[in-house]
Amino acid sequence: MIRTYKSTLSGDTWVQLKKNKAAMLGLIILILMIVIAVFTPWLTPYSYETQNLALGASPPSMAHWMGTDVLGRDLMTRIMYGSRVSLMVGFVATIVALCIGVLWGALAGYLGGRADMIMMRIVDILYALPFTIFIILLMVIFGRSMLLMFAAIGAVEWLTMARIVRAQVQSIKQQAFIEAARTIGLSDLEIIRRHVIPNTLGPVIIYTTLTIPNVILLESFLSFLGLGIQPPNSSWGLLISYGVETMEEYPWLLIFPGITLSLALFSLNFLGDGLRDAMDPRISKN
Amino acid sequence: MTLFLLKRILQAIPVILIVTTVTFFLVRAAPGGPFDTERTVSEEVLNNLQSFYKLDQPVHIQYQDYLKNLFQGDLGPSFRYPNRTVNEIIADGLPVTFELGLYAIIFAVILGVVAGIIASLRPNTLQDHLPMSLTMIGICLPSFLLGPLLVLAFGIQLEWLPVSGWGYSPGDKILPVVTLGSAYAAYIARLSRAGMLEVLGQDFILTARAKGLPQWRIVTVHALRGGLLPVVSFLGPATAGLLAGSFVVETIFQIPGLGRFYVQAAFNRDYTMILGTTILFAGLIITLNLLSDFVTAWLDPKQGFVKK
Amino acid sequence: MHQRVYHLKPCKTLTLLLSLLMALSGCTNDHNTNVITGALTQTLHIGNGAEPQDLDPHIVTGVTEHRIISALLEGLVGKDPKTLKPIPAVAESWHISDDRTHYRFRLRKNARWSNGDPVTAQDFVYSWKRILSPGLGAEYAYQLYSVLNAEAYHKGRLQDFTQVGVTAVDDHTLDVTLTNPTPYFLAILDHYSTYPVHRKTIEKFGSMDKRGNRWTKPENYTGNGPFTLKSWALNRIIKVEKNPTYWDAGNVKLNAIHFYPVENASTEERMFRTGQLHITSTLPAEKIAVYRQKNPDQLYINPYFGTYYYLFNTRRPPLDDKRVRQALAMSIDRNSIVTNITKGGQRPAGAFTPPNTLGYTAPTQIPFDPVRAKALFEEAGFPAGKNFPTLELVYNTSESHRKIAVAIQQMWKKHLNININLTNQDWKVYLARRKSGDYDIARAGWIGDYLSPNAFLEIFTRDSGNNHTGWSDPEYDARMQKSQRASNTNKRMEWFGQAEQLLLEAAPIAPIYTYTNVYLRSADVQGWHPNILDHHPYKYVYLSGSHD
Repeated sequence: MIRTYKSTLSGDTWVQLKKNKAAMLGLIILILMIVIAVFTPWLTPYSYETQNLALGASPPSMAHWMGTDVLGRDLMTRIMYGSRVSLMVGFVATIVALCIGVLWGALAGYLGGRADMIMMRIVDILYALPFTIFIILLMVIFGRSMLLMFAAIGAVEWLTMARIVRAQVQSIKQQAFIEAARTIGLSDLEIIRRHVIPNTLGPVIIYTTLTIPNVILLESFLSFLGLGIQPPNSSWGLLISYGVETMEEYPWLLIFPGITLSLALFSLNFLGDGLRDAMDPRISKN
Repeated sequence: MTLFLLKRILQAIPVILIVTTVTFFLVRAAPGGPFDTERTVSEEVLNNLQSFYKLDQPVHIQYQDYLKNLFQGDLGPSFRYPNRTVNEIIADGLPVTFELGLYAIIFAVILGVVAGIIASLRPNTLQDHLPMSLTMIGICLPSFLLGPLLVLAFGIQLEWLPVSGWGYSPGDKILPVVTLGSAYAAYIARLSRAGMLEVLGQDFILTARAKGLPQWRIVTVHALRGGLLPVVSFLGPATAGLLAGSFVVETIFQIPGLGRFYVQAAFNRDYTMILGTTILFAGLIITLNLLSDFVTAWLDPKQGFVKK
Repeated sequence: MHQRVYHLKPCKTLTLLLSLLMALSGCTNDHNTNVITGALTQTLHIGNGAEPQDLDPHIVTGVTEHRIISALLEGLVGKDPKTLKPIPAVAESWHISDDRTHYRFRLRKNARWSNGDPVTAQDFVYSWKRILSPGLGAEYAYQLYSVLNAEAYHKGRLQDFTQVGVTAVDDHTLDVTLTNPTPYFLAILDHYSTYPVHRKTIEKFGSMDKRGNRWTKPENYTGNGPFTLKSWALNRIIKVEKNPTYWDAGNVKLNAIHFYPVENASTEERMFRTGQLHITSTLPAEKIAVYRQKNPDQLYINPYFGTYYYLFNTRRPPLDDKRVRQALAMSIDRNSIVTNITKGGQRPAGAFTPPNTLGYTAPTQIPFDPVRAKALFEEAGFPAGKNFPTLELVYNTSESHRKIAVAIQQMWKKHLNININLTNQDWKVYLARRKSGDYDIARAGWIGDYLSPNAFLEIFTRDSGNNHTGWSDPEYDARMQKSQRASNTNKRMEWFGQAEQLLLEAAPIAPIYTYTNVYLRSADVQGWHPNILDHHPYKYVYLSGSHD
């Protein structure tokens, strides 16, 4: 399943990507979401935790565009703050996975031989561990900390990353410029840093875009089981799980967070697909 | 082949051992014990309970005992349900979770493969985009969102299907299976489309076409085997995700499977139950991965199991 | 792969997909619902919250289990479904000595086990010995501590059970001796921990004091109640059937009861709405308003014998200062909490014991009085909240506890100008912290087991394992002792009142509201009388089909 891709992000890739309308739409939506999430405190007049018990749940209105929740808090504000959490979990956990996975895979692929075998055996063994189950256990037992969640999710997702990078590195290793670098006396680490890692960027970026939605989903899933973020903070998953409880009485509490999450997942998946298509060398054959 | 199998099975043993050890000490490190209740239990009662479940012994002895029993297939008594053993609870819940997962996979494979094949026959036309975007919905509507929406639509508004249960009334299995399976349908559709495209471009297919074989024959007889390879290798890891997904679906639809028990056991600090289910899930995932590797190897002409 | 353009809008595709599914399934659900068939066959369908831990009356501790066990077993004394007054059950009559420490029960001759054996006085002696056996680890054994020497035997200080105050005079006469005149003793005899179990069945599957005895499996269960255990499918359904050997079988109208362990309240409500259940165990707060408007006849909101309150850790400054605790308790606007947050008809509680418990209501109440609270705070050295440390409020993870905690956090901020940190914890962690006193302020709830102020007030005596506040007062203990020995009800209530007054003044707790039971019930269900304990003896219940 692991293929090699064009290894660098070239102008060519960008041209290809720009032609893909769905991917571009995804990119635009994503950038918009990130901007909104970053500037949330300045964008909304409401607080995400101050309650207005007398108001309670109210449908969308001029004052509250997406209505209010059962405690009278502005839903749009809560979704915006929730975006900060969800996107942050998505990005940070992915970065954790990225760092471990790239390093591990690059080392294994580059060193080859026995070291490679041992390192990849370890990956194989870890693959067999029921991680989701461990995460649930950890969250129940040690409480719902953001840090733990990042670490736990990151620890699951780096495995595939390591496999991809290793395959990529193995193919790069054969190429002439690595030999050249070795002959001019660069150290292994130097070669990995200067030549190998930059050349694996393509597939890593593709995989990253596809990992982020998975992580966001995992967080939402944990929140739904009551194991995610601690209130009064919110995340998309948490908002949806509240929304589900009252979906018949106050449908907007489910609809708006649901649309937001779906939109984010759509965008990330389209962008990932688009990137993959743009970088896949076989496309140029067609 | 036997060597390959043997090697993989031997590899599984340390994995199970690691899972057991980590979980064993993890649950005991957790704050709060199985016998903490709202009404405080008196010291005497607590001591008796702990000695009954051998929790008063040194941890390493408990660990040894556990491993010894595990080796004999005995997962111990449940702390939470005193008149049941973990083996019994698993024997009761596993078939349900298994059935749910199996149907969901079947649903996902049928939907995904059909969509993928249809899409691959005429790439970049409406015939490609329509089924692919249909299955895309499954990825973007996670089960905890899709499930309640389906319940709302078909259970409550239209009153066509039961809102909960598993085998209590006709049709009550449909909504949970659809909820759990649809995310995987999308992945399978993409994989089978890509796989089919690759195979359909190969020489032997072109030859078959040139011979004037009908389209359906080319697809079913010649292309399908190679085209579905990526799907098969995906199924192993997918089942691991499916197990986790079943926790949510079992909760939403009130299904008496193991998933709900697992989350409850963690909350209740039912040590033996947590351990038993974790080990079971680990074993299942390993087995399914093995199975999927095995089938992949069998299907893959390059591996030489099949004469082609 | 190729680049794709997606032409379809999601909503369009969704409709398409769904209609496809419907075509595939091709099914409609026009079967008779449980509610309709139930009325025809006298089968009651009950939503029962969670999967019961066990059905052994000496092992279990929960409401879920009680609801099933009360159909399967019967104690010496039952209760009137309306007034909750003790009425004859296995014992057809009893005589109480003048000093009210000796009870003689006459057991009815026609009381039988479901296998036909007679229910004898020896059965009760055996059963009480069993629950008091230290090895069994029965958490509810203390219910029998009022019996002479029962506590000593249970704690292992006494080995000889014949010295415990329960003896079988003959097959149908049981003598019980108490340490003190315990006015609520008859009520305790309808608690499942005092129910009899069938000796031969127990011993067939293990010794008297062995946990995990398999006699509670449906194929083994022997009971003496109006119903017998038919089947027990884990996490699915428990079915009980009318017991033909029950002494009063002629008056049992239901043929069967089905208990469903539905944990999710929204699911349970949906099952009720689609006619799968006659009665739910609860109702999500958001649905209350809907039912009030659309189906008020199905909605039941009954006062319940429980109090929701906050604990103050009196071992920690500044909470060791009575004035600080009083001020905190006085600046909680309980009315706002019950009207805006809980919304389930709960009553604001200014005292610990629920009002009108057997005619007893606490003589004083903690008022909502921010002005006095401010003054008390100033006296204690925190004018306008100055120098007051940031305290931590611990509660177990739950949306409703959180809402209340957040509201109270804001009230304290507003009235006392202090900051509180909220920490939610997993149930077991929360319990462990509360028990070890590792908290500043903690949420708590207490449900009385038997109808007496004692069920509430005893937990703040010195020796109670349930008093986690660190507060104790010899005077309080003395007053509680006096209530036990009081010669008549009025005197006793007076002592309870004096004790509670002391408790509320010291304010190691801040009562918040009195619980209510909110549930749904089909109009078909008859003979189900709302009461404060939420006990509903099934032998009086029947179904009237209002359907065509």
